[in-house]
Amino acid sequence: MSNWHRLVWNQRDALLAGLGVTIEVCAIAFAFAVVGGLVLCLLRMYVKPLRPVAITLIEFFRATPILVQLLWVNYVWPSLFGFPDSFFAAAWLALALQSSGYLAETFRGGIEAVPRGHREAAYSVGLSPFATFWRVTAPQVALAAAPSIVNQFTVIVKSSTLVSVITVQDLMYQSQKIVNIWYEPIEILTATAAIYIVVIFAVSIAGKALADSLRSRYGIAAA
Amino acid sequence: MSDALRQSLDLSVFWEYRAVLLHGLAVNFYVFAASAVVALGIGLGAALLRVSRLAPVRWIGTVHVEIFRNAPEYIMVVWVHFVLPLLLSLLLARRLEFDPFVSSVIALGFVYSGYFAETFRAGIEAIPRAHIEAGRACGMPERLILWRIVLPQVVRRMLPESLNQFISLFKATTIVSLIAVPDLMYQVTMVTQQEMRPLPLYTGAALVYFTVIFAAGTLLRALSERWRSKIYA
Repeated sequence: MSNWHRLVWNQRDALLAGLGVTIEVCAIAFAFAVVGGLVLCLLRMYVKPLRPVAITLIEFFRATPILVQLLWVNYVWPSLFGFPDSFFAAAWLALALQSSGYLAETFRGGIEAVPRGHREAAYSVGLSPFATFWRVTAPQVALAAAPSIVNQFTVIVKSSTLVSVITVQDLMYQSQKIVNIWYEPIEILTATAAIYIVVIFAVSIAGKALADSLRSRYGIAAA
Repeated sequence: MSDALRQSLDLSVFWEYRAVLLHGLAVNFYVFAASAVVALGIGLGAALLRVSRLAPVRWIGTVHVEIFRNAPEYIMVVWVHFVLPLLLSLLLARRLEFDPFVSSVIALGFVYSGYFAETFRAGIEAIPRAHIEAGRACGMPERLILWRIVLPQVVRRMLPESLNQFISLFKATTIVSLIAVPDLMYQVTMVTQQEMRPLPLYTGAALVYFTVIFAAGTLLRALSERWRSKIYA
């Protein structure tokens, strides 16, 4: 028990700081992933000339392992595009790119599931295409896709353990640092794994509850 | 900018080391195949626990699924590699160490068993009860009912869903490079340290993984569609 106290409880500041960085990276990545996914999806569906580009990007982001993408963004992008300029930026950018590919496909599925008649009805009462999208299509897509979107957030949290590889000081990084100081991995790695499992479990429960309440409030039965 | 682009796309370094890198890619496939077998076996076991008639047995299955579905692969790989041997050493009172390959297969196998268990369970629950009851009425033993009636239907039903999980598993095999399993990503990192040319090497790695995963995904999806339509009709 004293080992737990020394290796885990006494290190709580470092672990909490790491958890903070993890949450920060994930939140930024998620925000950019939603925006990026929406842009990719709209380009793919409505902008004919850019369609092949959008499809290539979506498929590339989806079919590349996150570790490979992380190292690629971290080592290659700065010379190619002059960005990202820090490990932190590389971390959230890589996570965001990967998820934007998945979210683009989720959004596309949602948009295609909206009955044609809804759009035609909107046009026939004189809504502009833009208003039709934001007032008729988008809310339905958001409701239908809510569970997948939440699920994507848990995927981001899981993948975020890898940002420690490029020395972003997240929870994983801090715990490995503690391991390297004391050479006693049992307690600290077990605690770290437990923290991750609990956090991800909580996120997915909360997300599912949120999605269900949104759906029941706005009239689609919970799946 | 254009110079950097030319460098990234100048894959001659990548070609120069093709033997090592191809071998690395093969290691990815070995890890994938071994952990897929582990994941399918344990996943099926957990799914059977989850549909058991006894509530405590069901809870064990549920806890298994919730732990492994919510665990990041990387921490599990690290945990299995550095903590599990120590715990087992304490338990067996003799020094034990895992080969990185073994650790990664155990870790990835267990993590993905959580996903496969859910897929199996959905497949099992979708089978009409009458099929199982008909088996019992004919006097088939439970194990025969599982192998001859339940599993063939489950496999067909879960094929498209499990393809995605196999692809995720293959992508996750890149993580094992971090505990020094000599897979493609590991070799790329090693060659990069030697040649000091990260641009073409990391770009090449990304392209190779993309090509393999995209091609395999497209091909397998098409095959499974054909197979399903043929057998189901």
